[in-house]
Amino acid sequence: MVNPIYIFILALGAGFLLSLFDKAGRKVSMTIFYAVLAGMTAISAQWFIALLQGAEPTLIFTAGFKPPFSINLQMGMEEAFFTLLVNALGLLSGIFMMKKLQSTKVNGMILFLMMIMGINGLIMTRDMFNLFVFMEITSIATFAMIGIERNLKALSAGFKYVIAGGIASIFFLIGTIYLYRFTGVLHIDSMAAALDMASGQVAFLSVFILLMALIIELKPFPANGWALDVYESVNSGVVAIIASASSAGMLFVLYKITPLLNDSLLLTVAGIGLVTFVFSNLIGLKQQKAKRLLGYSSIGQIGLIMAAYAFLVHLGYAQNSTTVMLVTGGLFITHFIAKAGLFWIAGIVEKENLEGWSIIRKKPILVFVFGVFIVALSGLPPFPGFFAKWQLVMTLTSKGMIFVTAMILLGSFFEAAYLFRWLGKVLKTESEEYEIKATITQWIPLSIGVLALLGVSAYFSTLIPGGASLKILYLPMLLIVALFFLDFLPAWVKNTIVILLMSFYTWQLLPGLEGYRFLFGIIFLVGGVLLFIPGYIFKGKRVGFYPFAVMMYAGLAGLLLAENTLQLFTAWEIMTLGSYILIIRGKKSEPHALSYMLFSIGGAFIMLMGLGLFYSVNGQSFDLALLGSITQSTGIIFVLLAIGFLTKIASMGLHIWLPGAHGEAETDVSPMVSAILLKAGMFGLVVLMSAIQNPMIGNVSITYVMSWLGVITVFGGNLMAIYQEDAKRLLAYSSVGNLGYVLFGLSLMTHLGWLTSITYALNHFLFKAMLFLAIGGVVMRVKTKNMYEMGGLIKRMPISFISVLIGIIALSGVPPLSGFAGKWLTYNVLIEKGWVLQGVVLIIGGLIAFLYCFRLIHTIFLGQLKDNHRKVKEAPIAILIPQVLFIFAIMFFSAYPGMVLRPVGDFLAKIFPQGAIDWQNGVAFTAFGHWDGLGVLMITGVIFMAVFGWLLLTNRKTQKVKQFNIVYAAERPSRPELTHVGYNFFAHYRKALGVLSKPYAEKFWDGLSGIFHSTAGFIRKLYTGNGQTYLVHIIVFILVVYAFAMGG
Amino acid sequence: MTLITILGLALIMIGLWGMLTQRNIIKIIIGFSIVDTGVHLIMVSIGYLKDRTAPILDGAVDKTEALSKVVDPIPSALVLTAIVIGLAVTALMLSYAIKLYEKKGTLDINDFKELKW
Repeated sequence: MVNPIYIFILALGAGFLLSLFDKAGRKVSMTIFYAVLAGMTAISAQWFIALLQGAEPTLIFTAGFKPPFSINLQMGMEEAFFTLLVNALGLLSGIFMMKKLQSTKVNGMILFLMMIMGINGLIMTRDMFNLFVFMEITSIATFAMIGIERNLKALSAGFKYVIAGGIASIFFLIGTIYLYRFTGVLHIDSMAAALDMASGQVAFLSVFILLMALIIELKPFPANGWALDVYESVNSGVVAIIASASSAGMLFVLYKITPLLNDSLLLTVAGIGLVTFVFSNLIGLKQQKAKRLLGYSSIGQIGLIMAAYAFLVHLGYAQNSTTVMLVTGGLFITHFIAKAGLFWIAGIVEKENLEGWSIIRKKPILVFVFGVFIVALSGLPPFPGFFAKWQLVMTLTSKGMIFVTAMILLGSFFEAAYLFRWLGKVLKTESEEYEIKATITQWIPLSIGVLALLGVSAYFSTLIPGGASLKILYLPMLLIVALFFLDFLPAWVKNTIVILLMSFYTWQLLPGLEGYRFLFGIIFLVGGVLLFIPGYIFKGKRVGFYPFAVMMYAGLAGLLLAENTLQLFTAWEIMTLGSYILIIRGKKSEPHALSYMLFSIGGAFIMLMGLGLFYSVNGQSFDLALLGSITQSTGIIFVLLAIGFLTKIASMGLHIWLPGAHGEAETDVSPMVSAILLKAGMFGLVVLMSAIQNPMIGNVSITYVMSWLGVITVFGGNLMAIYQEDAKRLLAYSSVGNLGYVLFGLSLMTHLGWLTSITYALNHFLFKAMLFLAIGGVVMRVKTKNMYEMGGLIKRMPISFISVLIGIIALSGVPPLSGFAGKWLTYNVLIEKGWVLQGVVLIIGGLIAFLYCFRLIHTIFLGQLKDNHRKVKEAPIAILIPQVLFIFAIMFFSAYPGMVLRPVGDFLAKIFPQGAIDWQNGVAFTAFGHWDGLGVLMITGVIFMAVFGWLLLTNRKTQKVKQFNIVYAAERPSRPELTHVGYNFFAHYRKALGVLSKPYAEKFWDGLSGIFHSTAGFIRKLYTGNGQTYLVHIIVFILVVYAFAMGG
Repeated sequence: MTLITILGLALIMIGLWGMLTQRNIIKIIIGFSIVDTGVHLIMVSIGYLKDRTAPILDGAVDKTEALSKVVDPIPSALVLTAIVIGLAVTALMLSYAIKLYEKKGTLDINDFKELKW
């Protein structure tokens, strides 16, 4: 095996000789440059593989002495891994910068080699003073590399960096020399042993000074203004090295000197890391410049790694224990690859502002690569950062560090917020030009980076505890990967593939499911297959739709199969990610998709807290079956998990993302996210509430509070629906109200209540899918969503009309259709419970539903046909087919409710044995009455036919009113829409209800986000741009931290 | 604490004061050099042992008795390295100063605030 010392020999040798070779031509020197980088990578790789296979770590001695009398280098597992990463990144970034290196003097290449070599030294050396030397080699090479830049910004940033770095190295020197004085050695391992004996106030101080030097290099908040400037202004290839490789080196130094730190210093490191993570990400919210934003994110990530590492070591995990390795390793590798990749993309895009990045929009592969990095950084599956965060939260909560966990999740939330805002802008902002000149040398590192990240993700997910159980997701994941590769095919081919494979998967999966899982399986998977049928209306390739649609269903299927919390949470996040991409596909969806994502991620983090607490009180198990048997913190765990699920069913207060997200989505996406996705939240609630049946916090019954939340949601959702002019938004708000019934039913915690809830859920699934498809078809044809711009479409689109008619009858809960089943059960439940007040509000809410249902028929299908709609055609057949299927399903459910509700009742009896419905020949009997679905259907049908026939007979002589029959009486309309009676139809209700119709929830969340943004705007004023101020920050930072470390 | 150490500390303080108060980039660099010198002094003082001679094995110091006759050689060796590195950093700072002056025609650090927030 090649001695690791050759890493240095190669780099130094080439460094000295490169300018000579350059005389022979730039081609020669560049070949040598890349050969050396490749050689360095190969040496680390060779060691890494050998060590993986069980080789012994090796020490390299110098000067013929053994340590502590000489400098020695170490090549162990950690060193091999880190040097491999650094050298590989060096090689890739070097390739990325090929053009730049070609056009500058040979010095560029020499400095580049020195930079990489210095970082290798940082990682491998075991000598404190040698560490200082390598630190200086890295820094000086980096400073000089920045100095090569011609622009003023990079130069002034570089100067600030030199000053800060200079001060840091001086502190390092002082710390080192005093440590030498107290321990008599410079060898790090011997130093730690000697320090214990010599520990006193002064020894502590010298360790502190050394540590601070290191921390400054790791860019702590707020002493990091210089670093931000560097990230913003310096060449992207170099910044990729600084952000990823140099940080890696410095983190490794922290890892190395950890034995020197006592507990209070460990906690200091942890605290600094945590503060840095939260504040960097908070300030990042205000940032508009891409590279500076990446800087904030880098600094935050390094802070998080520091904090996670130091807290875990403080908690007693050995430095090289599996837990520490998994958590810090997962966070680190994600940051390392994703950040380098994003800086490379920055080098390709060369736009300063976030919006400017939308020039990559028309390049699907580049968008994909960008998206992978963004998603990885925000800690979503399947990337290592997700699993590392999971492991971290589980560990911290099980050790009682709730506050720390909450802060970490808060910081992560801020980061996800700005990252997804950016992603949204890139996906949706219109740009004037879409020209990107990416050379092949820029593509190579990017593609290797993204493939490496995906490969590492797949491997990493098997490493974490419980990771083996994630194999339930492998099959759908495989399909998703395949779909990415097949994305060049036309949409109809992919649609067929997806329908076939998903049908097959459903057919395999469903029979194995029991009880409510089977029921939700029908909604998620059978519904999913049906709702792919409208996909045939899309021409072209529909780039990027199928992988993510399947991802959403994969998450839903994962929920059905989940037996432990890890599976549940992973599936949940996969579903969220897929659905986010689906939602943002709508033309005007950008802000709504963002708010969907923020609520989802926020909810998921709260849920994660709950899962962590659950893990800590159940004897550290992931098993979901234990949910029913926990005895401590039951109430709080219930609340945390419930909030997570409630964000997905859009309960009042958490609903503001829904109308836009569902309303602006594409024709076939709206029914998917409305009819199917909303039920995921309900599924979560069912899992939770069937296990924990009587959650209390103090004397308050949580389910009672939830029942009121349900009631308010019904009322509020329905009320807001009546004010909508936009047909799809009306349907969206109506979903809020409908899910309110679902929530109300569940929170009753009785057999009848749950039966009500499930009836509502099934019904909502059927009629909302149908309504969204029908209205989507109409919108497609008339090219507007405003109802007042439609009218009289009954003649042009009769089948859509029938769907909507059936849909609203089912929705409004009047006999004879299945909606009435829900209503009838609700009243039974209310009588059973004796809840008068809730009953009144629910009844009013139900009445309000009539108002908006009426509008769908009245304004869209009845009245005068608009001139420009005289030639519209019926919706495409692909949209009509599922509607017809849904009509049959509703008819069947209405006529034979027993066929569906009896099996449901059977499995509910296992959870709630009391108060089941008594079925006799398809007629339902409860304590309060009976209901015969088929009988009601027939009676209503007969009456309807009779009245209809009579009207046909008697109304033959009516004169039809045409548009010219109408004159304005006295008013002169000021705006065109005022001429339509359907515009602002329920204005009088708005006036009458006054305060009740105001959007309080929007105001609240807007206000909260405003507070975060203005705080961020205030704090970032710290970064004045003045190098001297930054120096003051560093000095003050050290003094303050010293005060804390002494006091703590 | 020896007098040399105190002097070194004083130099560090003076240098830091200069770096924090002077607006001129050249003066800031001079401040940095003074801090650096202070650190070097402290390093030397740490290895110093009273009444001993320089750690050079020649006619004046017998090899067998060297251990009891000379000062601790390691800090001296370190300080040499530190001086070299300090020189490199100072040189780099000065070249930055030149480039900055070429670009903007000023050496006032307040004038280089293009990047902030």
